[in-house]
Amino acid sequence: MPASLGLKTVRDPYGEAELVAVPRLRPDWAVIHVPEADARGNARIYGTPFWDRLMARAARRVLVTAERILPSEELARQPELTAIPELFVEAVVHAPRGAWPGSCYPHYGVDYPAVEAYLAMARDPNGLGAHLDADSPGSAGVPPAPAPGRAGRPRSQAVVQSPC
Amino acid sequence: MVGAPSWGPPEMVVVAMARLLRDGEVVFHGVNSILPMVAVALARRVHAPRLRLLTIAGGIDPSPRALPRSTTDPELAHGSAAVLSNEDFYDLCMRGGVDTVFLGAAQIDGAGQTNVSLLGPRERPNVRLPGGGGAAVIMPTAERVILSRSEHSRRSFVERLDFVTAAGNVDRVVTPLCVFQRRSGRLEVESIHPTSTPEEVLARTAFPLTLAPNCPRTAPPTREELTALTVVDGENVRALEFP
Repeated sequence: MPASLGLKTVRDPYGEAELVAVPRLRPDWAVIHVPEADARGNARIYGTPFWDRLMARAARRVLVTAERILPSEELARQPELTAIPELFVEAVVHAPRGAWPGSCYPHYGVDYPAVEAYLAMARDPNGLGAHLDADSPGSAGVPPAPAPGRAGRPRSQAVVQSPC
Repeated sequence: MVGAPSWGPPEMVVVAMARLLRDGEVVFHGVNSILPMVAVALARRVHAPRLRLLTIAGGIDPSPRALPRSTTDPELAHGSAAVLSNEDFYDLCMRGGVDTVFLGAAQIDGAGQTNVSLLGPRERPNVRLPGGGGAAVIMPTAERVILSRSEHSRRSFVERLDFVTAAGNVDRVVTPLCVFQRRSGRLEVESIHPTSTPEEVLARTAFPLTLAPNCPRTAPPTREELTALTVVDGENVRALEFP
């Protein structure tokens, strides 16, 4: 089986077992939305990190999008909350509601009606365009985006290049 | 005298899953796992209050205010005093610290192996499925795996998988028709739900199956179980996966 998938095996150096060694994944980019970051790219994640920490370390370049941009001094008060250090981060985007229609704990939950509307649209070959153009007011108790103009759509407000 | 609450396939499936859980054991469920989520909540309320729940949303023994419609919802970390990262969960599972994991599958074969990867020939699949997530690692390393499906047909219970995504310590498979138990490496019918028949189970299972002459019937959901269900799943999310 491993050979047919192009996978190779290694001998467990401490035991008898022949183990399948899977090549590392090295994505070009990880795009990770967080509740709070500073302008240098230090990013806090509240609640569950899921695979965000792993992805930030696996990718060659990391783009952080954030609900709020905080002063670095504020993150420095509790550095243990910073899940992604700026060391790994290429750029930061201030993107309120950037996870919509997904959730960004603790700011807003999943917008299930918007997910269902998207799923319905996606059955149509032109549905993605319609979805991207659609106005999508917040729902399920989610406050509308603070950005001016249409509510719901995520909207980039600033891009800060970190030094390379 | 109040009449017994009504029940159907969603209730039978989650009740049968909940009964398999033991008090005090460590249980995990992942993404797209509404039925396991409800079954765990039911078991904790009825007979397993000290069950330890880990979820893909990171919560350890969470107390969600209401069961969400997605098992990646952050609500499944609500009330948790600690968040377990997914890296930590896999490490725990591989060192033998997880008693029971619920997994799903698009196809299940008679050995209890699963396919969550693709349908059709592997080189040119007709359907690309969501993928196994951690199933290939979890299934051989968890002490016990329980599979569930909200649908039971020859399309899903197949003689030969189009692709083997995961294989390992499957113990039970719960379907709307029956409960399978894996004995000596093969799935056998442990009990048939009262709403189904031996003939139906045979007709809707494509892998070879021999039924005992007096195949046991699953005990129908009790009044206590159904009442507990209305408490833990007042929003009836358990019905979302059923037609």
